[in-house]
Amino acid sequence: MLPAECARRLMAEIQGALDACSERQRQLERSLRVSRRLLRAWDVDPESWEPAGTPIPEPPPGSETKEEDPAPACAQSLQDLKELELLTQALEKAVRVRKGMSSARQRDRTPSLTSASTVATAGTTASAPSQASRQAGNRASARPTKGTHQAMDPAKNLPAHKLLSVRSKTPVGAGAGTTKHEPGLRDQQTTAPSAPPRTTEAFTLKEKGTLLQLPVAFRKAVSKNSRLWAQLSSMQTSDSTDATRAAKAQFLQKLQMVSGSSRPSAAEIEAEARSLRKACALLRLRMQEELSVAPADWMEEYRCLLTLEGLQAIVEQCLHRLQELQAAVMGGLPEPCAAGKATQASLPCGGKADLSWSPQLLLYSSTQELQTLATLKLRVAMLEQQIHLEKVLMAELLPLIRTWEPQGAPWLALCRAAYSLLCQGGERFLTILRDDPAD
Amino acid sequence: MGRRRRREDRAAGALPEAIAALSRSLPAGPSPEIFRRAKFDRPEAAPALWQLLFRVLSPLATDKTGATLVPEFQVRLVKSVLRSQGYPRSVLAQRSEGNSQSSRELLLALSWLLARGPLLEQLLAQSRVQLGDQVSLFEVLARPGPPASCMEIEGPVDLHQVQWLMGKLRIRWRQLLSSQQEHCSLLSKIHLYTCGSHSHQRFSHLSVAETEMLRDPDNTQQLLQALECENVRLEAALEWRRCELVFWQWMDTVLGACTPGAPAVPSQPLTLPVIPERGLGELELVAWELQALQEELQEAAEPRRAAWEAQVSSLGRGPEWITARKTLQETVEQELTALQRSWEQSGGPPQLQRPHRLVRSKDGTPGPQDLQAAEMIRMLRTQEASLDGSLRQLQDQCQQELARLAGTLPGLIWILAPGH
Repeated sequence: MLPAECARRLMAEIQGALDACSERQRQLERSLRVSRRLLRAWDVDPESWEPAGTPIPEPPPGSETKEEDPAPACAQSLQDLKELELLTQALEKAVRVRKGMSSARQRDRTPSLTSASTVATAGTTASAPSQASRQAGNRASARPTKGTHQAMDPAKNLPAHKLLSVRSKTPVGAGAGTTKHEPGLRDQQTTAPSAPPRTTEAFTLKEKGTLLQLPVAFRKAVSKNSRLWAQLSSMQTSDSTDATRAAKAQFLQKLQMVSGSSRPSAAEIEAEARSLRKACALLRLRMQEELSVAPADWMEEYRCLLTLEGLQAIVEQCLHRLQELQAAVMGGLPEPCAAGKATQASLPCGGKADLSWSPQLLLYSSTQELQTLATLKLRVAMLEQQIHLEKVLMAELLPLIRTWEPQGAPWLALCRAAYSLLCQGGERFLTILRDDPAD
Repeated sequence: MGRRRRREDRAAGALPEAIAALSRSLPAGPSPEIFRRAKFDRPEAAPALWQLLFRVLSPLATDKTGATLVPEFQVRLVKSVLRSQGYPRSVLAQRSEGNSQSSRELLLALSWLLARGPLLEQLLAQSRVQLGDQVSLFEVLARPGPPASCMEIEGPVDLHQVQWLMGKLRIRWRQLLSSQQEHCSLLSKIHLYTCGSHSHQRFSHLSVAETEMLRDPDNTQQLLQALECENVRLEAALEWRRCELVFWQWMDTVLGACTPGAPAVPSQPLTLPVIPERGLGELELVAWELQALQEELQEAAEPRRAAWEAQVSSLGRGPEWITARKTLQETVEQELTALQRSWEQSGGPPQLQRPHRLVRSKDGTPGPQDLQAAEMIRMLRTQEASLDGSLRQLQDQCQQELARLAGTLPGLIWILAPGH
């Protein structure tokens, strides 16, 4: 029914809009998946994970790693004790029996720092055997390497009592390797009750979220990163020496001279097209403002007249510029291919990009507010899409209706469909009745 | 003598160092040796430089895809992007051989890109490790890949199909809105639950990326590595900025070494098929709009001018009359120039275009560059209202036009849908 060219263009545009929406939907769903997973109970490995993110399993300062020096059990502040209790309870709740946990995952995980190991700085490397025992109890694969690495943090002089009692609830039988390094464990073992399986209460963000803490190495990297960005951006604003700027300008000029052609690039043409479109919208707005106010006296009339004529002149200029652009595009076409468009967005020519390193914040105060903000953003984007499609439809369908002579049923159907698409956003239809004179 | 030699040595050493810094700061940067060979147009330097330009110019190129793409495709893409950016040298475009030629031209192209703007900083900003929940204020629903302008249509297309597609689009919009709502509520919860875990001076909760990192230690490794890579590149970029002068002096010599070819010849169009893509279509749309506006203005202005001319004779010609007219003319001119300037500026204050980190905070003590959600909401609401207005106005226009066209037919009754 529709001519092929017209149909092709229409379908292409609408399909493009559909694709854009699907892409956005995909992105949203990816984020949704991640967020949902975070809000559920976390699937954690109690051995190698703890809420207060200890340093990354990078080789920490050598003195700590592979040494099993019994740090003296010092006195600690009440605060530390309380913290420890909290952590202990969290750990208690975080133990699960994990079946089928891929051994690969364990192998890759370098000796991570359980709070037990950090805590067991009271000299006991007892965590090693208890770890081993627990592993033996819980998993098929033994991890001998894990036992040997004690990434202890001697800075944290916390007593191991509570924690070790916790740990020793597990069948310590296989606990083996009771070396000379476990002075502290013995007394704990006496107090160890028989080993009931741990409560499998998992970690949820809701309850324990506030205990989380970013790892130190990470924080260092982030601060270094911010510092470097600040330096780079200040270097740019204060700008490199004049000599460098002059050298660059000279190079560009020479290149231009040697090469010859100086057409406006496709990127520039597109930018101008965008700006002209904005111009049209603003001019139209202004015109409507003028026309909506009835002039009170001759001065207002005159002003209105002058404005309208001024607007006319501007529109003339814009049209003229547009013709120039069209001519440039026609002759020696630099086609704005898709990749070009994408890079245009990302590499604004002439370096107008405003680089900022500083983390600028967008503050919101309630879920409601956030939702409103996001909804409005989306609605604005959708409206722009809709307006663009409306213009495309107008440009394609109205000429068709004008030029179709046959006034029969197909033409009426076209009119009806066009009306619904163009005037009602495709949501409602109208009815056409033929009013035949009564016979 | 010795001092001069030492100075020369220093100068000679400065160039490779500068180039090495440049390479380190670029993704897939080749070694300084490649650059040197490219000056002499050696063919073995070409593949590395094609690869580099591809990585620089194509936002799609990442570590994984870049290597697997056919070199031919890389070459074509680089050429076409350079052209669309307005690269003046046509030698590269004219040579239809692929990979192994024109290393000197590639070097010149790279230098052109570097000289024009802060390319390094832009590249770094593009690939920047994002730790926060980034929100950008102007969201554009842009189609992901190349436009489907070569869509094959099977059979005649009915307007019903168009209607169906539009309906599909409306459903997608609704879906997007509801997914977005859910996402926001989840984000808000995560922010709420992790309050107190971040040590930043201005906010205290974690972002999704940070929480995810804590949940999954493998993730931590990845993020750390990414951060460290970026830090290395940043340091290299700083070094480059300090010593780039020597590079530009060298590039002058490279340009000089180019065979003075036939510069003034206008480039032949590529053998690639010239598909009038969106660029042409956009111009046509704008032209159509402007012409419609022109007609409307004419319709409005002409009768007013006629009425005015008729009236003016009866108003007398005193001196204050002339001054009054003059002042009016000047005011109108000023207003119109201001209007013209308003669209010539780039859209929106640049601050709003950058993505911001989303942060929940009850007591709003915003820093100098922070935005508040309430203000943004107000701004977006006005924008929404104005877009709504334009849409309605377009629809009204269509309605009038259709009424006019269909009104020529007698004997038909048009019943509009209820609620109109």
